[in-house]
Amino acid sequence: MDVPIEYFVLLSMALFSIGLFGILTRRNALLFLMSVEIMVNAANVNLIAFAFYHGNLTGQVFALFAMALAAAEVAIGLGIVLVLYRNFRDVDVTVPTTMRW
Amino acid sequence: MAVLELPQWTALAPALVFVATALALFVIDSINPHTRNRSLLAGTTAVGALAALGVTVWFMLAGVGTPTAEGGLGVVELFGGQFVVDQMTLFFTTVVSIVTALVAVASYDYMADHTYQSEYYSLIMLAATGMAAMAAANSLVTVFIALELASLPSYALVAILKDNRGSVEAGLKYFLIGALSSAIFLYGISLVYGATGHLQLEAIADNLDGADAYGGLLGLGILMLIGGFAYKTASVPFHFWAPEAYEGAPAPISAFLSSASKAAGFVIAFRVFTTAFPVEATTAVIGIDWTTAFVVLAIVTMTLGNFAAATQDNVKRMLAYSSIGHAGYALIGLAGLSADGGELVMGAAMMHLFVYGFMNTGAFLFVALAEYWGVGRTFEDYNGLARQAPVACAALGIFMFSLAGIPPLGGFWSKYILFTETIGAAGTNGAMLVVAAALVVNSALSLYYYSRLVKAVWIEDPIGERDALAQPIGLYAAIVVAAVLTVVALPAFGPIADAAQQAAAVAIG
Repeated sequence: MDVPIEYFVLLSMALFSIGLFGILTRRNALLFLMSVEIMVNAANVNLIAFAFYHGNLTGQVFALFAMALAAAEVAIGLGIVLVLYRNFRDVDVTVPTTMRW
Repeated sequence: MAVLELPQWTALAPALVFVATALALFVIDSINPHTRNRSLLAGTTAVGALAALGVTVWFMLAGVGTPTAEGGLGVVELFGGQFVVDQMTLFFTTVVSIVTALVAVASYDYMADHTYQSEYYSLIMLAATGMAAMAAANSLVTVFIALELASLPSYALVAILKDNRGSVEAGLKYFLIGALSSAIFLYGISLVYGATGHLQLEAIADNLDGADAYGGLLGLGILMLIGGFAYKTASVPFHFWAPEAYEGAPAPISAFLSSASKAAGFVIAFRVFTTAFPVEATTAVIGIDWTTAFVVLAIVTMTLGNFAAATQDNVKRMLAYSSIGHAGYALIGLAGLSADGGELVMGAAMMHLFVYGFMNTGAFLFVALAEYWGVGRTFEDYNGLARQAPVACAALGIFMFSLAGIPPLGGFWSKYILFTETIGAAGTNGAMLVVAAALVVNSALSLYYYSRLVKAVWIEDPIGERDALAQPIGLYAAIVVAAVLTVVALPAFGPIADAAQQAAAVAIG
């Protein structure tokens, strides 16, 4: 491999941290979904790079599954965001506080 | 036996029955959209769940999954080891199918006014499929896919009362934390794959020694996997969705999530950690004994759950925190694995999850009944219910005392065995002594808030006048069956204990 595997791991960790930062700081539910998507894609980068590194296809195939599942998750998420907006007139995740922590 | 002649893939029959029932419900819905024929829909769901239960019990009796050395038909491995059907699979599938049947029957009354009936029941069946698949998953690929298959319908189920702010808020919180933890879980899988080059659990274990150079990656990966399991089992540090989701969700769904979903979360945790990360081999690579993490998590989870439950005024929230506390008890099963007799501790934890499945489902279904009556949500609102509904309240007494661990109920025996096995394991792992002490202290504390609820319904006087209470047949039937199962678990405890111990021994062996 021309690019050492460490660079891929660094890239994916950077993506993962960006996603995590987004989740911890954003209050908009849609941005939250996008941040989760970045984290999933960080894992996909890892899986594909390691599949190349180890010379087996398991990781690549699993990355395809992961993408499909992430899409399904977003579909459910958007549905929930939609009913959230209908009930609370907002997509801010800190607004719904009918139950105390 | 006839089972021998069946093709291998039929070993997954319980999960296939679940998915076939879900598809049958879709067909009913497509023939008659917006059907409100609750008897047909709830009946199909319950029959499907009971059929899955029947197949599972048949497999158990016929010896599917029992090692050939013990006179069984052998552990069935499917699709190159991606799925495995052994005793642990069948044991947890039993829990899932019984809980699913109870929830379906209870939903007949609870969801009577709901517009989208068939969607509700097919989502339950799809989630149950995911849980049955989790019990059989034997590769991180199938573990993740089954986990998502169980989670995605659950998000929708929690938020299904879409005009109810509580339900939507609960669904949102459940979804957000679920999405976060599944992303962390997936990243953990990718790191484990990076370190070992495999995703199938046995292959991971075989390649652990080759992962020496990546000890750090592997350790981080395992830590992230623990995060994913903690979410599914509602344990610290991903427990905080549980009180919100259980409180806001329709009560039968709370019962479903806190019993079946939790048991399914534990089965994948048990399987991944016993099969893929044997204690000694993993310790040699990552330098830390991962059971230490579970010792800490078990103690923190049970203490947090029980102390938080003791301060609640809302009954459903109390049950939610108690469910976190019980997750802490079950985590002991993983905490004890490094000690001699670790498989006995894990078997005891499986027993506890089994008994817990009935008593906790029953307790949440009583809350469902109270919500159906519309008596309110706090302990005071429940005051004096026994005068109007003695049967349901007697069942509630059984659930509460069993959850608290009062002899001679099932909950006592599972906790007692868990305690003695933990003490037994303390000989080689001193930390287990602390765990055992925490178990006793927390059980004693839990008696306070469980008996508070029993006192409210049986002893206190009602605050105000109540109208006569209806007797919804589905909810009553589900509660009575759950109570009977909790009581019957007592004479049946020998076989249950044997099944759990054997399953644990095989899984570890």
